[in-house]
Amino acid sequence: MPEDLLRILVAAAVCWANFMAFDLFWKLPLEGGVSGATAIAHEVERKGGALHGGFMMGNIVSSPDASAGTLLAACGVFIAGIPGGLLAAMCVYVGNRICHDPGYAGTTGCIAATFIIYGLCQVGFVATDFIAGMVIAILTIQGVSAVHASRLIERLWKWRS
Amino acid sequence: MSPDELAVTICIVIAVYSAVRIALERNTLKKLPFLNVVSFAVTGVIAIILPHPLTILAAAAYFVGSTLESNAIASTIAGGPEEKDE
Repeated sequence: MPEDLLRILVAAAVCWANFMAFDLFWKLPLEGGVSGATAIAHEVERKGGALHGGFMMGNIVSSPDASAGTLLAACGVFIAGIPGGLLAAMCVYVGNRICHDPGYAGTTGCIAATFIIYGLCQVGFVATDFIAGMVIAILTIQGVSAVHASRLIERLWKWRS
Repeated sequence: MSPDELAVTICIVIAVYSAVRIALERNTLKKLPFLNVVSFAVTGVIAIILPHPLTILAAAAYFVGSTLESNAIASTIAGGPEEKDE
């Protein structure tokens, strides 16, 4: 049981690093992809948060990004291995197009996560660790404190740009 | 408790926590990030308790549908779609 919890926490860190790297690479904090994402960003800023962090939070809410890609990759690998992860990547791309998003962050994040998760499953992890891990990772960004999460993203965004 | 049961338990606890945060938050726009967390957790639970190839499609459909609803709610509050030069 303690080993299982430790594995899930390590998986959460891997998922967090994966989705943050792809979202920053594809410049999600730059601007809101749709007007709803921009509105969420301004609401976060009005409460004392950072605007660019708010843009990324709004974009995560408004379209499947690399975090959704990582979660669905974990689900796909759990059910059907690498083909399952690649099927999930196709679903993420379709979802991106439905949500008026080019789909680069979600699709590339999902494909990368598929291989990372499959690789780590060969060395003692199980795919469900990454499902729970990704839920914990998104909780830290979207579910605890919008103000602090947006400031953290802003700091990473300044470092990237 | 097996690893699968532990993962489902974590997802359910996080989903319930986020649902409580949604109920307590008064501003609709600020409810949406918490709703996003609920969608992640429920998608994870769907995949773990129904391990079948079609579940990947079902989980993705649920997640994309939920995201599209959040997108629609936020964009409606913001006053409609932005016109951008493509």
